[in-house]
Amino acid sequence: MEECKLVLMGFGAVGKGVAKAIQMKKDMVNEKYGISLKIVAAADSSTSAICQDGLDEELLLKTKEETCKLANYPECGSELSGIEILDAVDYDILIEATPTNIKDAEPAKSLTLKAFADGKDVVTSNKGHLALFYKELIEAKEAAGVDFKFEASVGGAMPIINLCQETLASCGISSIKGILNGTTNYILSRMTTEGMSYENTLAEAQQLGIAETDPTQDVEGIDAACKVVILANSVLGIDATYSDVEVRGISDVSLDAIELAKEEGYFVKLIGGVSEKQLKVSPRLVKKNSPYAIDGTLNLANVTTDLADDITVMGKGAGSLETASAMLTDLINIIKNK
Amino acid sequence: MRMNLILEVLDIPGQLVSILNPISELGANVVTIVHKREIKAEESKAAIEIALEGERENLQAVIDKFKEMGVNLIEVDDKVRKEKLSAILYGHIIDKDLRDTFDRINAVDGLVVSDLQIKLNGELESTALITIELDIGKREIAYNKIMEIAKEKDYLVIDEV
Repeated sequence: MEECKLVLMGFGAVGKGVAKAIQMKKDMVNEKYGISLKIVAAADSSTSAICQDGLDEELLLKTKEETCKLANYPECGSELSGIEILDAVDYDILIEATPTNIKDAEPAKSLTLKAFADGKDVVTSNKGHLALFYKELIEAKEAAGVDFKFEASVGGAMPIINLCQETLASCGISSIKGILNGTTNYILSRMTTEGMSYENTLAEAQQLGIAETDPTQDVEGIDAACKVVILANSVLGIDATYSDVEVRGISDVSLDAIELAKEEGYFVKLIGGVSEKQLKVSPRLVKKNSPYAIDGTLNLANVTTDLADDITVMGKGAGSLETASAMLTDLINIIKNK
Repeated sequence: MRMNLILEVLDIPGQLVSILNPISELGANVVTIVHKREIKAEESKAAIEIALEGERENLQAVIDKFKEMGVNLIEVDDKVRKEKLSAILYGHIIDKDLRDTFDRINAVDGLVVSDLQIKLNGELESTALITIELDIGKREIAYNKIMEIAKEKDYLVIDEV
């Protein structure tokens, strides 16, 4: 039986989800593909747990939960962090789930380039490095002759990148439009159904943990814009970066606008649009009975193709296990292609 | 020959009769009439599908008559004739010369402002939903026109997907 040794960088919601998903699915992967998945290192923001014989997923989750630090993992705890870990273990694939950084893309960028340089495949959920340095990353990946997959970076569990690149391989894709941020969709949906102001709805979303304490990335459309850039590059082959996107968030969408739209049979949604002509994130009107009229934190993408006409997908755009599902799928696809 | 029409009439009693009369007068025969409730017509209007039979010139005469009567033909033989584009504008809608906004859109060939709903907010900025009826293929022109006016008059726009 072959082994696949994994380094898991980042142990927040997504990282924990990956550990959990591997624990749940490793027997299935073993049975179907004859590969034994083994986490040889896992790291949070400042410490890690490293064991060449493999770490126990449940114990990793328990250690993090109870002590907040992976350094407290019995016998294998370590004060090593970040890029040093990649030199400390022998591994095959880097699972990179550190937080998105839209300023300089670190630590994701350095970790990814280091893994490529060492000839390792990478699966990521990160948006920062893809939105800022897509071309550089792909060039490095190609030079290294390794795999690089990032389905989880757009739409969480919702399949979109692999869908366009592989499932729709026969089709030319001219545009993608979608609801690419769950937090803003939740806020706009609640404003529509409850008639609450933007400020009150945002506060509610924060209390529920749907919006972050600093909601800027979501409500100002930054998160959606990162996804637009990733889709533009990976699906439409447009050489674009974050600054090429025209971005307007939802903080200036008034209740008046939402109510007026509703009276006339429309909803207001934050839509990310990708086409050769324009990369744009802005609040837009969608018809009440159209596929775009989805509620809550759901994500949606509508792909316009030449042969298949329009294809629409919908799914959970965030969530620990949901996002991890996309990463595990990427991981399995890499294994299958070996 | 046969012809399928989808048209919009006011959703009040007597409207159907008013469009059926000219059909028989002009020598065409009504095959079916279906209320298309699933088509979202404009406020207080209903969409109706009518299948007609008759000679080519008689059918053309019916269409000409409907146009003369101001009946809104949505589709003729599966070909969409008109479409609508809605957008929300937020800003000083009235103060920045609403009349001028209308005139400039209407001045574009194939574009007509068909509806405007507005929520006033005292002296503050107001919110309006504008609906433009347009000939097929003029969507981008209509969009660009709205954006041009919005930029000039400092309106925020929520356009239609």
